[in-house]
Amino acid sequence: MIVLDALLQGILMGLLFALVALGLTIIFGMMDIVNFAHGEFLMIGMYTAYWTSLLLHIDPLITLPASAIVGMVLGLASYYWLVKYLLRGPMIAQLFGTFGLMLFLRYLAQFLFGIDYRIVQKGLLVGKSLTVGPFIFDWTKLSAAILSLIAFLLVYLLLHRTKLGKALRATALNREAANYMGIKTERMNALAWMIGGGTVGIAGGLIVNFWYVYPTVGLLFVMIAFASVAMGGFGSIKGAFFAGILIGMIEMLFPVFGHVIGSDFLGPHFKFTLVYFAYFVIVVFRPQGLFGWKH
Amino acid sequence: METLRDAFDFRDFSKPEKVGFVIFTLFLLVFPWLGAGSFVKAVVIQFLLFSLFGMGWNTIGGYGGQVELGKAQYVGIGAYTVALAMVWWKIPFWVSMPIGVLIALGYSFIIGYPLFRLKGHYFAIATICTSLVLQDIFINWKLVGAAKGIELPIHEHPDFLYMQFKSDTYYFYFIMALFYVAIFYMNWFRKSKLGYQLRMIKEDEEAAESLGIDARWCKIKAYSIASAFVAVGGGFLAVYNLYIDPYSVMDLDLSIKIALMAMLGGAGSMWGPIIGSAFLVPLDRFLGSWLGAHKGLIGVDFMIYSALIMIVSAYQPRGIWGIIEQFRKR
Repeated sequence: MIVLDALLQGILMGLLFALVALGLTIIFGMMDIVNFAHGEFLMIGMYTAYWTSLLLHIDPLITLPASAIVGMVLGLASYYWLVKYLLRGPMIAQLFGTFGLMLFLRYLAQFLFGIDYRIVQKGLLVGKSLTVGPFIFDWTKLSAAILSLIAFLLVYLLLHRTKLGKALRATALNREAANYMGIKTERMNALAWMIGGGTVGIAGGLIVNFWYVYPTVGLLFVMIAFASVAMGGFGSIKGAFFAGILIGMIEMLFPVFGHVIGSDFLGPHFKFTLVYFAYFVIVVFRPQGLFGWKH
Repeated sequence: METLRDAFDFRDFSKPEKVGFVIFTLFLLVFPWLGAGSFVKAVVIQFLLFSLFGMGWNTIGGYGGQVELGKAQYVGIGAYTVALAMVWWKIPFWVSMPIGVLIALGYSFIIGYPLFRLKGHYFAIATICTSLVLQDIFINWKLVGAAKGIELPIHEHPDFLYMQFKSDTYYFYFIMALFYVAIFYMNWFRKSKLGYQLRMIKEDEEAAESLGIDARWCKIKAYSIASAFVAVGGGFLAVYNLYIDPYSVMDLDLSIKIALMAMLGGAGSMWGPIIGSAFLVPLDRFLGSWLGAHKGLIGVDFMIYSALIMIVSAYQPRGIWGIIEQFRKR
C-alpha cells in the first residue's frame, strides 16, 4: 500500500518535473544549446506567482498567466540579448554564457528579495486534501499535476498539429533546408525560447503552491530537468514527459524502499543522489536517451 | 632527459611573453617582502591555487576540448585524504598528499572509463552529476564528519611535516613552488605526444581515430592528469584552511569556477588559466569585500561577475588570451 501511495505521489511530482524539462528539451532540440539558466527561469516564475498573489490578494492558481508571461518575456530577452550571440561561439562558450545568465538571475533575485524562504500561505487549495479510499492527495499537488498535464498537451498539440509547430520542427531537423523553404529560422529560435520560458514559468507558478521559494531553488530543479531531458533523449518531448514521471517515481519510491528494508543509509536525503546516478547509468548505457532521435 | 629539456625550454614563446614571464616570476619571489597586508596575501595565494587548478583543467578542457565541469570532486578527494589521514592516524602532509593524488588518479580512471563514452552536452552534465553524487555522499557520511566537515588538529609549534606555519609567507612559497612545477609540466605537456593527440581530437575526433589515435584512452589519460593536479591543490587547501567541509571543497560552484577561469583566460593556451585566475580571483575577492561591507548590496558583486562572464562568452569565446592575440596580429 505504502508503495502504491508513493507511486501515485511520484507521478504527481513527475508531471511537474516533466513540465520543467519540457522547455529545456524544446530549446535543446532547436539549437543544440543547454540552458543552465532554466532553473532560474523557474525560480522567477515562482517569485512572480508568489508576489502577485501576495500583493494583489488573488489565489496563486489564478496568477498563472502572469508567471507564463514573465517566463515568455524572460525567454525572449535572453534569446535576443544573449543567446543569439552565443550561438556563434563553440559549445563551451554557450555553456558558460547561459551559466553566467543563471548566476546573474540568481543573485538578482537575492538582491531584490533576500535569501528568505518564502511559501504561499493563503489560497483556495493550500492545506486542503482529497481522500480517495486509502490515499490522500494534496489539492495543490493534484491541481498542479492536472494543469501541468494540460500545458503539456497544449504544447504537444502546438508542435504536432499546427503549421507553426511544423515550421519549428522543420527548423530543428535541418536549419538550412528550413531556411530555403522560407521559414524564418531566427524567429523560430526566438519562439522556442518563448515557449521554453513560458512553460517553465507556468511550472514555477504551480510549484510555488507547495514548495518554498528562495534564490537558489533553481539548482535542484535544473539538475532534475537535465536528468529527465537526458534520460528521455535531448530534444525529445515524449521522452521528457516519461522521464519526468520516472524521476518523480524514483524520488518518491526511494525513501520508501529505504524505510522498508530498515536502512538508515538509504534515507530520503539520498533521493536526488539516486536521480543523478540514474542519469549517469542511463546515458552511459544508452547515450541517446530512452526516446532520443538526435545524436 | 629529453623530457626535462622540453619542460624548461621556453624558446618558442615570443619575446613579450618571455619578458613578462621573467618579470612575473621576480615579482612573485619578492612579493612577501613588499609589505602587503594579510588580505592581499590571501588573495595572491588563492590566485596561485586557482591557476594550478586551471592548468590542470586545461589539459582535458583546453587542449582536449572536453567540457569538464566536475573537478571539485577531486579537490574534495585531495583535501579529505590529507585531512582524514592527519586526524585519524597523524600521517604527515608529505605522505598523505601523494596518497590523495593516487586515490584521485584511481578514482578518475574508474569514473573516466564510462564517462568518456559520452560526448558534448551529455558529457558535461554527466561530470556535474558524478561530482554531485560524491558531494551528497560526503554530506551524509557521518564517519567523515558529514555536513559539519572536519577540523585539522592545530599544532602549537610550526611543523614542516604537517605543513603548519605561523605566517602566510611559508604557504605562499609552497603554493608558488607547486605553481612552477605545474608550469614546467604544462610546458612539457603541450609539446608531448599526448598534447598533440589531444589537440587533434579536439579538431576532429573521427580524423584522429582514423590516424590510429585511441581517442577515448587519450581523453582518460588527460582527465587523470587534470585530476591529479586538482587533488594536489585540494591537499594544500586542507592544510591552508585547517578546516574543510563538503560545501567548501566539493561544491558545483568550485567546479564551474575552475573551468571558468581557464575558459575566461583562454582555454588551450599556456598562459590562459593563469591570466584568467589573475583576473577573476582578485575581482571576486575585492568586489566581495568591498560590496559585502555595504548592507543591501549583497549579491551585486556576483551580478557584476556574471555579467562579465556573459559578455566574454558572447563576444570573445577564446577568452582574454584570444583578445590579446587579436591585438597582436594587427
